[in-house]
Amino acid sequence: MKKIINDPVSYVDDMLKGIYAAHADKVKYAEDDLRCYCIAEKKPGKVAIVTGGGTGHLPLFLGYVGEGLIDGCGVGGVFQSPSPEQIYNISKEVEAGAGVLYLYGNYTGDIMTFDMATDLCEMDDIPCKSIVGADDVNSHSDPGTRRGVAGIYFMYKAAGARAAEGGNLDEVLAAAQLAKDNTRTVGFALTPCVIPEVGHANFELGENEMAMGMGIHGEPGVWNGPLKTSAAIAAESMETLLKDMPVASGEEVALLINGLGATSVEELYILSNDVTEYLTARGIKVYKTIVGEYATSMEMAGASISICRLNDELKEYVDYPVNTPFICQK
Amino acid sequence: MEKLQFEQIPDLFESIGNLFMEKKEELCEMDARLGDGDLGLTMSKGFAELPNLLREGVQDAGGDAGRLLMKAGMKMSSVVPSTMGFLMASGIMEGGKALKGRTEMDGAALAEYLAGFAAGVQKRGKCSIGQRTIYDSVKPAADAAKACVETNPEATAKEVAEAALEAAAKGVEATKDMVPVFGKAAVHAAKCSGIADQGAVAGYYKILGIRNYLSA
Repeated sequence: MKKIINDPVSYVDDMLKGIYAAHADKVKYAEDDLRCYCIAEKKPGKVAIVTGGGTGHLPLFLGYVGEGLIDGCGVGGVFQSPSPEQIYNISKEVEAGAGVLYLYGNYTGDIMTFDMATDLCEMDDIPCKSIVGADDVNSHSDPGTRRGVAGIYFMYKAAGARAAEGGNLDEVLAAAQLAKDNTRTVGFALTPCVIPEVGHANFELGENEMAMGMGIHGEPGVWNGPLKTSAAIAAESMETLLKDMPVASGEEVALLINGLGATSVEELYILSNDVTEYLTARGIKVYKTIVGEYATSMEMAGASISICRLNDELKEYVDYPVNTPFICQK
Repeated sequence: MEKLQFEQIPDLFESIGNLFMEKKEELCEMDARLGDGDLGLTMSKGFAELPNLLREGVQDAGGDAGRLLMKAGMKMSSVVPSTMGFLMASGIMEGGKALKGRTEMDGAALAEYLAGFAAGVQKRGKCSIGQRTIYDSVKPAADAAKACVETNPEATAKEVAEAALEAAAKGVEATKDMVPVFGKAAVHAAKCSGIADQGAVAGYYKILGIRNYLSA
């Protein structure tokens, strides 16, 4: 393990201290708990959106706390869920009189955490609804069982924009649902990552091998084999994705090319070019392309490709300005 | 004991905590065979801390037994952030919800708490009867408690606890013939035959802890 750290045990809290120190104007923490990450100033009357999940995926999850996106984030240990109490405390802090939407990834521990937090909010008469991101096509044939990965960004965008525009809790939930229904992701890994407190790689992959469909915690994918070219990866990924969510010729999409942490932005643009050519050849118009790191797995190499099939409403959400310590779009 | 006052709730859960401390090794051994091996640790750690959490919460709850249990259950889940810890915490929180506004726990209230506990476990674990889980002991116990109160509305807390305990014991016994659906046990289904489910046993011990306190 080769990491810039002081102590594996303080990995998460040291990182958080750095973020709070750098962005004190934008974010703060609640209940004297560094892991209760909240927007610095809440807007009265706005639906609050709260997320949460394990550390190790920046800018997911806390990086999306900011203007035009979400309001709070429970920060778990590396690849671990935050606690129900933390989510509850964040909810109380960011709730602004219009209820709270929980929007997070489809993982068992997180579901239990947010369900329990919902029970607690109900006790305080804070209206609370939930929706999970489950966009990873290769993780399961059943859409309800799929894991949430980078495509959740479009859900944050939709819900965040709708909330900022003054939508009520049901409308914000519906916006997130609309983005969810129209978003799919296919990902693949080239090298593993190391959980600081474990100290060694979470899986093994041969020198010239890739793992198609691998999850952002190293969950096994659909195949491990020789590394393919960018064009071949793009073609296979898009075949899988479009089979699951057909996009007709003439329809428009937003494209998110996400790096898993160790893959260079240069490579991401090579991949982006190949995906765009694949889609264009099929008459699918790429309305917006987003390239960068949106859901990583620490220093794992690899990428994911997310497609959000757009209508006018989703276009408006995708274009809505955002401003967080990690992401800025005018 | 006929009924329990608000101030006695931490003591009631201390009785459960003490029992889980006694049963720690036994539960760990059972779980090592067919689970993650940490059940005894989770239960003893969580239920040892719960009385402290309850005592800390007494003032804030303002005499409301339900509020007290809800908050303490939530804090317990932070102490034992695992599936079984969350299931127990959810049970306590839902059991608390059923007691919202009450200042004492008589036989009928205990039956409602046990029904809430079972419902909380079911809701969180999304499990049903016959799947070889903790639900297979706590649900029959809740049903028996309810039946006891329906037959005799004047039933004391102790009588309700005894009825619940008897049904929980039968529930544990019944898991010996059940095919596991969840966790590591599901992978080693054949090995489970004839052995009681460790989660159901934990559910039984929780009720035994309650009975012990009410009988003292």
